[in-house]
Amino acid sequence: MSGVNLSGIVKAYGALQVVHGIDLTVAEKEFVVLVGPSGCGKSTTLRMIAGLEEITAGDLTIYGRRMNRVAPKDRDVAMVFQNYALYPHLNVADNMAFGLRIRKMPKDEIKTTIDDVAEILGLTPYLDRRPADLSGGQRQRVAMGRAIVRHPKVFLFDEPLSNLDAKLRTQMRAEIKRLHNRLGVTSVYVTHDQVEAMTLADRIVVMNDGRIEQVGTPMELFNNPANTFVAGFLGSPPMNQMKGRLTETGAQVGDAEIKINGSVAGHAGRDVVVGIRPEHVTLTDEGNSSALPINLDLVEPLGSEALLHARHGDDQLVFKADTNGDISHLSGVTSVHVPSHLVKLFDAETGRALNLGA
Amino acid sequence: MSDENTTAGGQPIEDTLIEAREAQRQQLATDGRWVRLIDHFKREWQIYAMLLPTIIWFLVFLYKPMYGLQIAFKDYSIFRGVAGSPWIGWEHFETLFSNDQFIRAVRNTITISFYNLLFGFPAPIILALMFNEVMHATYKRTAQTIVYLPHFISSVIIAGIVITAFSPTAGIINTFVSWLGFDPIYFLTQPQWFRPIFVGTGIWQEAGFGSIVFLAAIAGVNPSLYESAVVDGANRWQMMWKITIPSILPTILIMLIIRIGNVMEVSFELVILLYQPSTYETADVVNTWVYRQGLQSGQYDLAAAAGLFNAVVAFVLVMAANTLSRRYSRTSLW
Repeated sequence: MSGVNLSGIVKAYGALQVVHGIDLTVAEKEFVVLVGPSGCGKSTTLRMIAGLEEITAGDLTIYGRRMNRVAPKDRDVAMVFQNYALYPHLNVADNMAFGLRIRKMPKDEIKTTIDDVAEILGLTPYLDRRPADLSGGQRQRVAMGRAIVRHPKVFLFDEPLSNLDAKLRTQMRAEIKRLHNRLGVTSVYVTHDQVEAMTLADRIVVMNDGRIEQVGTPMELFNNPANTFVAGFLGSPPMNQMKGRLTETGAQVGDAEIKINGSVAGHAGRDVVVGIRPEHVTLTDEGNSSALPINLDLVEPLGSEALLHARHGDDQLVFKADTNGDISHLSGVTSVHVPSHLVKLFDAETGRALNLGA
Repeated sequence: MSDENTTAGGQPIEDTLIEAREAQRQQLATDGRWVRLIDHFKREWQIYAMLLPTIIWFLVFLYKPMYGLQIAFKDYSIFRGVAGSPWIGWEHFETLFSNDQFIRAVRNTITISFYNLLFGFPAPIILALMFNEVMHATYKRTAQTIVYLPHFISSVIIAGIVITAFSPTAGIINTFVSWLGFDPIYFLTQPQWFRPIFVGTGIWQEAGFGSIVFLAAIAGVNPSLYESAVVDGANRWQMMWKITIPSILPTILIMLIIRIGNVMEVSFELVILLYQPSTYETADVVNTWVYRQGLQSGQYDLAAAAGLFNAVVAFVLVMAANTLSRRYSRTSLW
């Protein structure tokens, strides 16, 4: 049985349609991440699952039950909000108990549940504190605790880590992952951060402009993006994309030819977009026929690695290189070698990935 | 004769040097503070320029008149002036507290203020909570405009409306009373009706306008608190009690402290306009008594003593309310 099923889900505000018929199935115990740029409809979709937004058209089922007209409280979902949504006048224990009291759970059961969940989340010493007396990470844990105590069938996360600093975000990401592995609750998680999506998800749903661009495991999406949007969205830095034209043996990009695995011969002359992941290249200071000549603009050291900003013709490119603690050798880079089996091709007109029999 | 390690005054040279260095350090620190202050004024002068009218208003209308407060302790004569009038100590206060009318006025002031606090203070809060629950935008806007309006009407007109409404011959209230088969009631001449009418009028006039501050506080409540509560299963009633009211509690407490500070300031104009000698028993408040004694009978010194008493009581009340609020709710005016 699927955990959550969206079938032809549409959301419109008057004449303005913001979600255009989404089809998605989230399996039981699966962790699915909706990712996309701001305004792509991911939060609206999540809120429709929660019942905070009305569904204009389509069907939503949770564990087989149609939920379109069911009140949020009866959907058996719990939601973690971006700004935690903790009640400032209540302490941690009361915040976590809020939903249980509303549901008139017996007091001793509430206490046991809260003690158990506080133990899991490391919140036991803070149960008497108010949210204002907690750090960002602790508040986030309380928000998750409030969701967990309900023992819902589905967890909904609406950008829960975006208010945290980078270090804490990494830490909390790992905690969420561990928690999901431990509790095994079906989860739908919204973020605009592709790193969060890659690290947390069993499957990623990339959304753009109210539509799903691609659904798949993180590595499927990373290795085989369905189109230029997904290719440009996932990966840090994202995939380099250059306009080119297919030849008998590869793709002509500016004055260079990039060799490509597969049967491109029959497609010679076709306009394409050539995609190269920044980390897939080998940097070299010796030009040869299979290398892509570049003009190096800038080297950004990141410690163990560095980002190289370069140009090839009119195309702005970014490459990633291991530094081994030294970036002096990078200033002499004049070309990059691109392994032919890692080059991606997209149709120049539609942006869709081309599979030419590699 | 002093030895080489002491000063002429016999103080050890080492101590003198330490003191001199300390004095120099303090002087430098003071100079530094002045320099910083002058720099600050130069940098932010526009803000201080904007503050100036308020400061002038305070000085002219609130601080300068304080000079005249001394007549509460003097046998004041307008011919001798404030400075020339002789001191008489607490005599005016003794006169006040041996005056039955003043004691009655204090009692009336406190009683009316208590009713105002009991019924008048919650009214705008309840109104704001009710407005917050209205979903229909046009209806909400119309209703808000209607309840705000009385605030902008002069107290004289308000009193006129009240007098007309409660008129025993043509008033709508007495028309209704007659429909029920009772004799008309002379509401405004009977002491027992003054307080309900006065407090009710105050609520009618000010509750709508007073609700604005609470509506603003409600608007500031994080919407995800409500969304979270909806997902948790709370209904609107539970959300109001468990989210809205606790969230606006700091605003309520601040407004309450301010209100307590004004306990002795019962709406003077409205009392003057609505009361009459037959209702003095329940209607005469300190301010109206001061008006009659001070301005009409020319006893400015006695009136000043009564005014000072009012101010001291209000000061003590507001301090106490602020301290209690800070201690029990972490909310305070200062």
